[in-house]
Amino acid sequence: MSADRESEVTQALLGLASSLVNGYDVVDLLDDLVADCTRLLDVASAGLLLSDGLGVLHVMAASSEATRLLEVFQLQRAEGPCRDCFHAGEPVTVPDLAEAADRWPQFVPAAQAAGFASVHALPMRLRENTLGAMGLFGDTPGPLTERDLTLAQALADVASVALVQDKAVNDRGAVVEQLQIALNSRVVLEQAKGVVAHIGDMDTGQAFVALRRYARDHNQRLTAVAQAVVSRALPVQLVLEHVLQAETDLP
Amino acid sequence: MHGSDELREGLGSAMTGAGTPLDAANQLCRACVEFLDVDGASVSLIHDGASRGTFGSSGRMSRRLDELQFTYGEGPCLDAVRAGGPVLVDDLNDVAEVRWPAFRDAALDAGISAVFALPVLIASAHVGALDLYNRRPGPLAHPMLAGALLAAELAALPLLDLMTAHVDWDSAAQGDDGWEQLASLERVEVYQATGMLMAALNVSPSEALARLRGFAYAHSMTASEVAWAIVERRLTLHSDGTGPARHTTEDGT
Repeated sequence: MSADRESEVTQALLGLASSLVNGYDVVDLLDDLVADCTRLLDVASAGLLLSDGLGVLHVMAASSEATRLLEVFQLQRAEGPCRDCFHAGEPVTVPDLAEAADRWPQFVPAAQAAGFASVHALPMRLRENTLGAMGLFGDTPGPLTERDLTLAQALADVASVALVQDKAVNDRGAVVEQLQIALNSRVVLEQAKGVVAHIGDMDTGQAFVALRRYARDHNQRLTAVAQAVVSRALPVQLVLEHVLQAETDLP
Repeated sequence: MHGSDELREGLGSAMTGAGTPLDAANQLCRACVEFLDVDGASVSLIHDGASRGTFGSSGRMSRRLDELQFTYGEGPCLDAVRAGGPVLVDDLNDVAEVRWPAFRDAALDAGISAVFALPVLIASAHVGALDLYNRRPGPLAHPMLAGALLAAELAALPLLDLMTAHVDWDSAAQGDDGWEQLASLERVEVYQATGMLMAALNVSPSEALARLRGFAYAHSMTASEVAWAIVERRLTLHSDGTGPARHTTEDGT
């Protein structure tokens, strides 16, 4: 590991640890986490799929807004390496997607069309529960190094801990409830992105950046800001003006 | 005792063949009794914290208990919607249970000892609750609680159909499985498009989703197709007051 990379890994883990200690917004933290994955690991895209109470997977975080990437994740409600990984509770490694076309006849063509050549799926585990799966997509065929896999699993484990927060993890009902809350927060964030995108005449990726910027600069949780936008308690114009101002203030 | 898969299948197909949203809600409530091991179930519609009425039920006892919550203006279903989370009452006989004195007495008189109220969300807005009633005291054990939460998700479908009255339940483009219909709405692009419609039409999240869904049915498209068209600005929905939204295409596609 190069010194630069080691320092980046340390920074990322410190950031996550500090969030866990100081309180955090789970949606925000998981978005950071998938961004960390693409930066620290030799992968092009990353995403988290989270299970609801009866094992249906939902997109919880993705490293980009690209239609095709979202589809690759959403397809895995029906089939794909993340789904298999989630059900088995074990990693699923596919160094060359071209060789897995028989196994996942819908998923493989969609992933290839999105420009991916390899995929690694890691379970999000918490004691006896599997909460979901983390998917790492590469744009060239080949395995991840042992070191990358270990780091990826560590990041997935942090995500799992973050998801159930301080709930007693042996209480199955509490875990189900916690996952539902996280999934609902995601819905509100996506709606808020739509509202900001429409009023600000921007794409949903830019809308996300604007919401996050506003939340951080005002020391508020991302989910709270999203909720305020959706319920009209916070005028979108304030968010847009703030971001414009912040950009102007940059040196 | 049913396993998770059976639960999913049983609840998901519960509304198959229902002619009206009310039939669908009734069928879902009866499926709750069958698959969640409870003695009664009802779905109520709530607006601005006041119960607007019982929508579906598994039978007369459940309907009556649900209606009593409106009469008294108190009860776990109203609290579940207000708090935005489940209200689970394992034992109404517990003397410490003082939250709803009038409802409690009525439920105990009807022989009900446990009530589980789960909020029903449409596009993240709380629009109602699914109430489950049990004669014997005790919690909802796994996987019944998970099943109940998902039944509450499914309960959103007939409520949505009530909002888009022209939707024909049988000709649903997504097939006759309730979960598939729900899955077509539980997509990132649908949430984003819902947000854009909220801003464009100045409507609530649930109404925006109802418009999106109504448009999809009217044009034989999936909810996801309509949503992508909106997010990518190929499609604009306009409000024309009373009727369903009409559309304009900006680039002729």
